[in-house]
Amino acid sequence: MPGAEHPALAIFFQQLVNGLTIGSVYALIALGYTMVYGIIELINFAHGEIYMIGAYLGIVFLALLTAAGLAGASLGLTMVLVFIGAIVICAMWGFTLEKVAYRPLRNAPRLAPLISALGMSIALQALVFLLQGARPKVFPHLFSGTGFDLGGARISYIQVFIFIVSILLMIGLNYFVRQTKTGKAMRATAQDRRMAALVGINVDRVISTTFVVGSVLAAVAGVMVAMYYGYVDFFLGFQAGLKAFTAAVLGGIGNIPGAMLGGILLGLIEAFGAGYISSEYKDVFAFSILVLVLIFRPAGLLGEQTPQKV
Amino acid sequence: MKKQVFALAAALLVAGAGFATDAAAATLKIGVAGPMTGDQAKMGNDILSGVKLALQEWNAANKDLTMEIVIGDDQADPKQAVSAANKFVNEGVIGVIGHFNSSCSIPASDIYKDNGIVQITPASTNPTFTDRKYWNVFRTCGRDDQQGKVAADFVAGKKIKRVAVLHDKTTYGQGLADAFRDSLKKDHKVEAVFYGGVTKGDKDYSATLTSVKAANPEVLYFGGIYPEGGLLAKQAKDLGIKARFMSGDGVIDPEFVRIAGKEAAEGTWLTFSPDIKNVASAKGAVEAYEKQFGPVGPYSIYGYVSAKIFFEAVKKAGAKSAKDGQKIADTIRKGTWNTALGTLKFDAKGDRTSADYVMYETKNGEFVQITGLKQQAAK
Repeated sequence: MPGAEHPALAIFFQQLVNGLTIGSVYALIALGYTMVYGIIELINFAHGEIYMIGAYLGIVFLALLTAAGLAGASLGLTMVLVFIGAIVICAMWGFTLEKVAYRPLRNAPRLAPLISALGMSIALQALVFLLQGARPKVFPHLFSGTGFDLGGARISYIQVFIFIVSILLMIGLNYFVRQTKTGKAMRATAQDRRMAALVGINVDRVISTTFVVGSVLAAVAGVMVAMYYGYVDFFLGFQAGLKAFTAAVLGGIGNIPGAMLGGILLGLIEAFGAGYISSEYKDVFAFSILVLVLIFRPAGLLGEQTPQKV
Repeated sequence: MKKQVFALAAALLVAGAGFATDAAAATLKIGVAGPMTGDQAKMGNDILSGVKLALQEWNAANKDLTMEIVIGDDQADPKQAVSAANKFVNEGVIGVIGHFNSSCSIPASDIYKDNGIVQITPASTNPTFTDRKYWNVFRTCGRDDQQGKVAADFVAGKKIKRVAVLHDKTTYGQGLADAFRDSLKKDHKVEAVFYGGVTKGDKDYSATLTSVKAANPEVLYFGGIYPEGGLLAKQAKDLGIKARFMSGDGVIDPEFVRIAGKEAAEGTWLTFSPDIKNVASAKGAVEAYEKQFGPVGPYSIYGYVSAKIFFEAVKKAGAKSAKDGQKIADTIRKGTWNTALGTLKFDAKGDRTSADYVMYETKNGEFVQITGLKQQAAK
């Protein structure tokens, strides 16, 4: 790399930045999968679609605010409003999704909600396709080309932003689950739903909260990715969902720190695999590592955390 | 009683006559295939609009041999292309204009071949499409080995020695990238400093582009379509890659500029056929098209011309159904066709006998033709 004192080191550092950026996005989405699995043992395949809706909402709100003449006045305030708008609507989607598609099936055989999840995924994709059309949407290139050089690597402000916001959200989530009353209720519900109900926990509300929290994280990830790539299509949720699900399994499904670790690890594996071995087999590395981990540690890196039935 | 028999006979006669006229003014079905939905939807719809225009003109002038369109959406996916092809067979189409992607045109052509259906692609440039020597395939566009060579000659002419080559792992993208790389090596002794593939539909190419940056190229060539092309150009710029972005006919679309952003798209070199707006013979078609469907896309007029040739050939061959496919194909192969793209002739394989790729440069968000202008003026 020109201008760098240690070219090899600069490339390594650049790949590290690339991997951490995409990895923290995977981690944010993976948290939604893992929290829902931890509490009701359901793989919510429609979660990737919530993330895709979040990305679309980012563009929609930005367009609305620009039309209202706000974007010109203060970019920072506009972005805050865009995030809030996307978060609120995605939270509503997550809440509704659980109520419509999963709650009626809560006591049904495990296969039924799984199929319901797949159906919701297809339905949401089709809905966005019908409402927004097949053409990809472009996020205004507000932040394109801004950034700084560090040790020969090019780091954009948006990459820094994505990484910091993700880390803050993960710390916040950890605090929420471990320290707050709702968090304790969540963990109690995950351990034994009936006992939790007996000691006065509103199980329905706790499960709804889990979906809402997962959707909020997905919404933030969606808007950030729309800003980062500047490109959104209705198929965005599929691949991201697949990768995030892989990340959740890699770390140990149901395990919150596991999802964070899995996401970041997956991002790094992809970046280094594509950078140092072959860009053509980027996805192969990610999934080979998953297979290897599952062979030697079937419960994932940090262990599965499914409800222990006492 | 006698009167009743007579009335019955008269009625039958009238009914029979009705039948006879129906058969005479038969409406033949023609399939239009391409990505009508999905991220390449614009290309499919451009072709469809071109065919629609040709159809309107044809039906207005030929009341005794009208045509109708059956649409097949392949979503740029080879599997969907095969199912669209089977749908055409069931619907009884006699010819297909399409598909857009080479990876769709090639598997679909097997089905058309076995069912007597003539296929004219306005856009699939991969050599394999015609190199298998099927009786039923034609293309009104050029071939990637021609296109890749034009790009390689141009790069070599600029004395550029460091070239990175990327492709999207599809039949078209990899075929074009390989044609470019091989021509550079064979004709100009320039070895690519980087060669690799990216996954179509992926959004993050930063890892691959970091390796590209390390190879320090002067030109980054990409074989593929505009969604990936746009993202690559943008992310390359974000990573601080100074190389000039270069690509082919799959990228030359306003969507590319929209996705990449004007800044990242600026200065991009692209190979494509001569600007349709500078071609005198296409003037009428372009005007009629833009009146109805808005700005012409890169392949709109190719769709229009493909359909026109097909309609003419059906009439000349006196074809009535898919059983006459061979006759239609022979007619197309033997004929000399005066079209909006100039005079076209086809060789035994179904390729155009003349294909002229030229270079474009993106200037201020517009694609401006930078080579071949003199020859065009001389024509």
